[in-house]
Amino acid sequence: MSDSGPSGPPREPSGRGSEMVWSILGTLVAGVLAWGGIGWLLDRWLGTRYLVAVGILVGMAGAFYLIIKRYGSG
Amino acid sequence: MTAATLPLAQREGFHAPGVEIFQWPDIVHIEVAGIDLSINRVVLQMFVVVLLVWGLFYLGFRRPKLVPSGLQNVMESIVDFIRNQIVLEVIGRDGLRFMPYLTTLFVFVFFGNLGGVIPPVFFPLNGRMALPAVMAICSLLLFISVGISTQGPAYFKNALFPPGIPWPVYILLTPIEFVSTFIVRPVTLAIRLLANMIAGHLILTVFFVATGYLLTSLNISSLFGIGALVFSVALIAFELFVAGLQAYVFTILSAVYIAGALEPEH
Repeated sequence: MSDSGPSGPPREPSGRGSEMVWSILGTLVAGVLAWGGIGWLLDRWLGTRYLVAVGILVGMAGAFYLIIKRYGSG
Repeated sequence: MTAATLPLAQREGFHAPGVEIFQWPDIVHIEVAGIDLSINRVVLQMFVVVLLVWGLFYLGFRRPKLVPSGLQNVMESIVDFIRNQIVLEVIGRDGLRFMPYLTTLFVFVFFGNLGGVIPPVFFPLNGRMALPAVMAICSLLLFISVGISTQGPAYFKNALFPPGIPWPVYILLTPIEFVSTFIVRPVTLAIRLLANMIAGHLILTVFFVATGYLLTSLNISSLFGIGALVFSVALIAFELFVAGLQAYVFTILSAVYIAGALEPEH
């Protein structure tokens, strides 16, 4: 994917502590929900029982990756 | 068996109030095409808050003077607060066109919450899911339409595919970004407000009921009743603070989401 955005003067980032915390928390919850949900659906479809746990772990890993990518390098 | 049906001597101790303090019977039962549109105390309170918010703005700005005084002064300081502390701080000058929405949101949420500490109302409007949910959906629809109108269809591409990531990882991250942006955001917005109001209302009710119970038990526990009374008053002050804080949080997060939709992630 290219990084093409609308042109215009760059604005200073409006990141404040509490907003960042909410965003990180939201990403973690979303990771668990998204991949946990996919795992749960696969479990129902395939008749297995462990994919929901795998999905939750995958989602957490993805969420951590996303958080580090977004906030890690400051 | 409830405590009230027993004679005082057989009262089997203190009964803590529970979920039932959030449920109100219908005052007027209305049903249109199978949809329950009944009016209960909470709906009535909502009408009053809407009228109050409208009235405050109308009376405050009906005859604006260059040097504000009285109500105009109060309302201008609220608008100034939203403008300087939320809109300019979070979105920048671009955000001034969202001032009306954010100001209304803040004032409405605040007065909705305020019912929880104002006698004889003592019920926070946002302690029922309907209002926080509808306001969260409004904010969701607003930031999606802001995103589409400033970035076009690329808004969804920018929101779902964060830049600077090798493409196979998108299989992992895009579902997370979708859930995070379009589901978790509105849901947490609504639940944060709802849960704070439910907790506050429960704590206040428990303390006031306990104060009444202890003071009327006419034995040594009456002494503790005095402590509970003092604490109840302190809790009212605390809930007043929470009412303002949660209105602020709801508004500022809505502003953050709008700001995020105005430009793609770097």
